[in-house]
Amino acid sequence: MKKFLSILGVLLILGCDPFVTEFEDSSDAVMYEANSQSDATYDSGDVKVVTWNIRFGIARFSFFGDSCGDDVILDDDTIEKNMEAIADALNAMDADIVLLQEVDVSSKRTGYMDQVQYLLDYTNLNYGCYASMWKADFIASDGIGRIDAGNAILSKYKLTDAERIQLRLRTDQDELTEYFYLRRNIVKAKIPALTQGTQDFYAVDIHATAFATDDTKQKHIDKYVETLAEIHAGGDGDLFVTGGDLNSVPPGSITDFCESDMCDGEDYHTDEAEEYHKEGSYFENFEGEPDILLPLYDVYNSAIDSASYNLTEHFTHAPSTSMIDDTTATMYDRKLDYLFTNGTWSSGSEHTHQAAWELSDHLPVSAVLNLGGE
Amino acid sequence: MKKIIFYFILTSLVFGETKKWDAHSAYLLPQKRWEMGLFQPFRYGYSESIEYSVHPLWFFVMPNFSLKISQGDFAGFTSASQYKMVYPTPFLNMIAKKGTMGIIAPEFQMPPMVGLSVSWLMSKTIFPFAASPYSLIGLDLTLKGGLDLGVTFGDLDTRSTIDIPLVYHRLGVYYNKWGIHTGLDVQKNLTQKFTVLCDLDLKFLPGLAEVQIDPDASKLKGEYSLEHKLLLIWNKSENFRVLTGYKFVMGEYPYGSDMRLLPYIPMAETWVPIIEFQWARKKR
Repeated sequence: MKKFLSILGVLLILGCDPFVTEFEDSSDAVMYEANSQSDATYDSGDVKVVTWNIRFGIARFSFFGDSCGDDVILDDDTIEKNMEAIADALNAMDADIVLLQEVDVSSKRTGYMDQVQYLLDYTNLNYGCYASMWKADFIASDGIGRIDAGNAILSKYKLTDAERIQLRLRTDQDELTEYFYLRRNIVKAKIPALTQGTQDFYAVDIHATAFATDDTKQKHIDKYVETLAEIHAGGDGDLFVTGGDLNSVPPGSITDFCESDMCDGEDYHTDEAEEYHKEGSYFENFEGEPDILLPLYDVYNSAIDSASYNLTEHFTHAPSTSMIDDTTATMYDRKLDYLFTNGTWSSGSEHTHQAAWELSDHLPVSAVLNLGGE
Repeated sequence: MKKIIFYFILTSLVFGETKKWDAHSAYLLPQKRWEMGLFQPFRYGYSESIEYSVHPLWFFVMPNFSLKISQGDFAGFTSASQYKMVYPTPFLNMIAKKGTMGIIAPEFQMPPMVGLSVSWLMSKTIFPFAASPYSLIGLDLTLKGGLDLGVTFGDLDTRSTIDIPLVYHRLGVYYNKWGIHTGLDVQKNLTQKFTVLCDLDLKFLPGLAEVQIDPDASKLKGEYSLEHKLLLIWNKSENFRVLTGYKFVMGEYPYGSDMRLLPYIPMAETWVPIIEFQWARKKR
């Protein structure tokens, strides 16, 4: 009987992993290393930083979830080609630190490719850490199936103390939807090689909510500001570079994209419409949302400053199915992706890589951080 | 076709050993007895040597039929052959859809497919210190093995697999075209009213361990699954029984190794015991 109970106990432990993974407020991020490392010893000088929502390597595929598409699962060959193009683009940028959002590591929709490992193996980046925002054995909706997608920090230099910080869940969903839905997060890691005297150096990556119609976005930005403030106030005023897809437009931007994002058969801004505004396309869901990023701009240095953030040349996103006419895609029509630091960006180093528009529905933003007083 | 009919007539002349409540074994149902359960198929003893079964609830969305034919004694075992046919296409196309319960991505249209399976079953009572088939001392052992074929009439997109334990390897036969299965069952009467059943089944899809996707890379597809079940059975009468226990599944899948204790309730994140009710009657 004891043997039977022991076996049953083992089966219970091994066979009862959670179906959907939920996370503590703070937990360890998953660490990665490139299979063969390129030589990248930091001696001194500037550090190039990139943020990019790579849309899990599906480029402009008409994915059902965030555009007007109907498709869910891309073929392996196309994913491989897209990831190769993303790796080539990162190599061309020659970044020291890359903040990625929407990276798949084991998802049915992208052929279970571990994209963090792929990018480490095919770029000049050596170390990575990863935090899931959506991890489930099976999503029984739209054929999504198994999913593990999230944020990642890649770096030429070793990462330590990598932490996944849970962001508040949406409150505008029923219990069942919430259970199977995304658990967004901030991922933070220390880069000891970039320590400046007594100041530790951190990279912080975030992907804030896109579709919430309650105050979830405010809570996400509040937590982000709090996390950065802790680093800024820590030790001898530690240093950070940070960025991500904040799913927020800059102050002074247009806030209503419902009509340009509208799909065939949808109806917004009319009394008959099921929802007056389209989720994810409207940026005034609560009081103060248009200025939600002011606390970041007021306290820290943005790669794209307030004089430029509403210029077309710094737009970073358009839905993949948004079209100007029957044959011309809207490449970008708003800014959602940002880089900040409590250090100093090298003047004129900032760049929104709009030529990469075909590789994702978000565009990479890069800038060079002055380090070592140079 | 004539040969097949002749074979069935010939084998039906070989009277087999019959037993009640022994769907997993080489024993057939007594003639005119039927048995069914909440989750088990409807089985009917057509003659002393032929038994057929269907899953009635599934039948309208996934037509299925199974035939078990006694093969007499073989190497000291009571033997039977079993033939199954299933047409899963209507059901798979029902769940290839947008929204909730869209198990397969909506862009995939499943072609007509037929699953064929042939098994050989051998049963005997081991340690038969008492002669009664309901002996409390002996163990009923069943060994089985067979071949599965998945015949598709059209293009089946390899991205349309359902990658979850219990399902992946059952449908995998359509993607791999064939598979093999083997297993053993052990059943023991604990008392006159209580029985315990333990089984172990291996499903194998040869060639699906790793598939070369280009000269530099291969991809895991998932070659095998191992299923184990343990059930405690309360035989209230000849016509009704209740079963409880668990099922354990482990195997290789396109995403790696996995194991799961079933039934599992996702939102509660807990395993719950199987509860199964089964009924039987004898047709007059």
